[in-house]
Amino acid sequence: MTYQPEAVPVTSMPAPVGAPVVPGVGARLLDGAAVVPRSGTESLTGVTPQDLAAHRVAYGPRPVRLGAAADALVDDLERVSLTGRGGGHFPTAAKWRSILRAGAGGTVVVNGAEGEPGCAKDAVLLQTRPHLVLDGLVSAIEATGAADGVVWLHDGAWATARAVSRALAERAAAGESSSPIRVMLAPDRYLSGEGTSIIRTLEGGPTLPRWVADPARPWSPGHRPVLVNNAETMARVGLVSLVGASGYGATSLLTVVNDTYRVVVEVGTDATFEAVLAQAWRSPDGRAPTAVLLGGYGGSWVPWPRIARMPVDNGVLRGMGLSLGAGLLGPLTHDACGLEESARLLRYLSDQSARQCGPCVFGLAAVADLADQLTEGRLSRSGRSQLDRYVGEVSGRGACRHPDGALRMYTSALEVFREDVHRHRKGRTCDAPRHSLMPLPEAVRA
Amino acid sequence: MSRHSSAREAREPVDPRGMHLRLDPSVCDGVGICSHLAPDLVAVDTWGYPIIATVPLTEKADRRQAEAAVTGCPRKALSIS
Repeated sequence: MTYQPEAVPVTSMPAPVGAPVVPGVGARLLDGAAVVPRSGTESLTGVTPQDLAAHRVAYGPRPVRLGAAADALVDDLERVSLTGRGGGHFPTAAKWRSILRAGAGGTVVVNGAEGEPGCAKDAVLLQTRPHLVLDGLVSAIEATGAADGVVWLHDGAWATARAVSRALAERAAAGESSSPIRVMLAPDRYLSGEGTSIIRTLEGGPTLPRWVADPARPWSPGHRPVLVNNAETMARVGLVSLVGASGYGATSLLTVVNDTYRVVVEVGTDATFEAVLAQAWRSPDGRAPTAVLLGGYGGSWVPWPRIARMPVDNGVLRGMGLSLGAGLLGPLTHDACGLEESARLLRYLSDQSARQCGPCVFGLAAVADLADQLTEGRLSRSGRSQLDRYVGEVSGRGACRHPDGALRMYTSALEVFREDVHRHRKGRTCDAPRHSLMPLPEAVRA
Repeated sequence: MSRHSSAREAREPVDPRGMHLRLDPSVCDGVGICSHLAPDLVAVDTWGYPIIATVPLTEKADRRQAEAAVTGCPRKALSIS
């Protein structure tokens, strides 16, 4: 099997893998695969943006979600087993119910900040399907009795901000009324998309994660309740509200990292990872990857043979101790070194620490130093045991899960690339090219 | 060596029953007073930051140590809930 999709120009990628693209019958979010640059999301091709008129022709008017219709929507979200697509995969209906218990007058936030530098699915949705996301947001505002809505984006994601602003203007011009919705731009940092960073900002604080005693009530006492849903999650809420639970097709959006571009592809739960790469990845040497980074930079490395024939189904993955996370699929090519790649990502994540919690500030940096030593073939035996000890000491001790994700990624590398660890420990480095396969913001570190 | 000093033990899921000593790690500066005031509940990591035992505060001695640590923390990073 080769992974060259018959020299299809990347600007006209084929339709998504899996179920048919028919709104109303297993309705999906996208009508094709989107091709985006390796870093940034300022230009994308492959998916036709849907304006308000096209959106309403495809799906009909948005049902108002008040009273019994609100309860019905929450029940439908539960029926389709919708989970948070920012990475946590927490059941959306349960999250909504804890907001409902907190009472009306809160704020609903669409989180489109997409901190994962490898992922572009939220930008693709907000740029090409803004009205699905906004239908989800308006439905959520109605259903939870919220006072207003926020679309939370990264500062610098101009194409996305423009698309959302345009979509909001279209709705106003069409006389579609809703509670006020504003676009907010967060500092362009990895942790700006963390739920507690958003809530803290709305309460007048800095855009940094914080510790919460009760995860079901992440807002401060005396402040209004805040519901934060990822952009893909909210697009799915919009879709469920428009087509109903029976018309909804369970799919996932994946961002597949290629050498010079990324492909955002919508995948049914019946598709295998092999089928996804056959469509959305161009192998530089015609060979399958050695491993893939799954979920995000805080996800896990998985040997390719272990996952190739598995379905893209988070339930199945959970049984394997894995998660689709934020939907990153980063193939490792034969000429690359997984350890070197992982050390680079770990350093990036360590640099992106909010610098609030000691274990993250000092522990993550210490592990990143040892990881660099291993890459360079100068990690001593005591350094190797120090690395294991530090991982144990730091995990689970931050206010947010940032250090946990970073360490999960690196420890999965130590496991999956065991043979490379052995080689590097012998004082030999490998002859892998010294470039990063996974995109990193250029200002940070090459 | 104190009773609950291993990091492994501290990372076990918090027992939902009863009151616990809790730390807001984003407020903590690793001053370290807590580990002296509550030696049976607080261990210190390589960098001087506290690792809190996950045991519920059922014993009177534990409760007393926890209260001392909460009061003594200059950053107000500890609480009982």
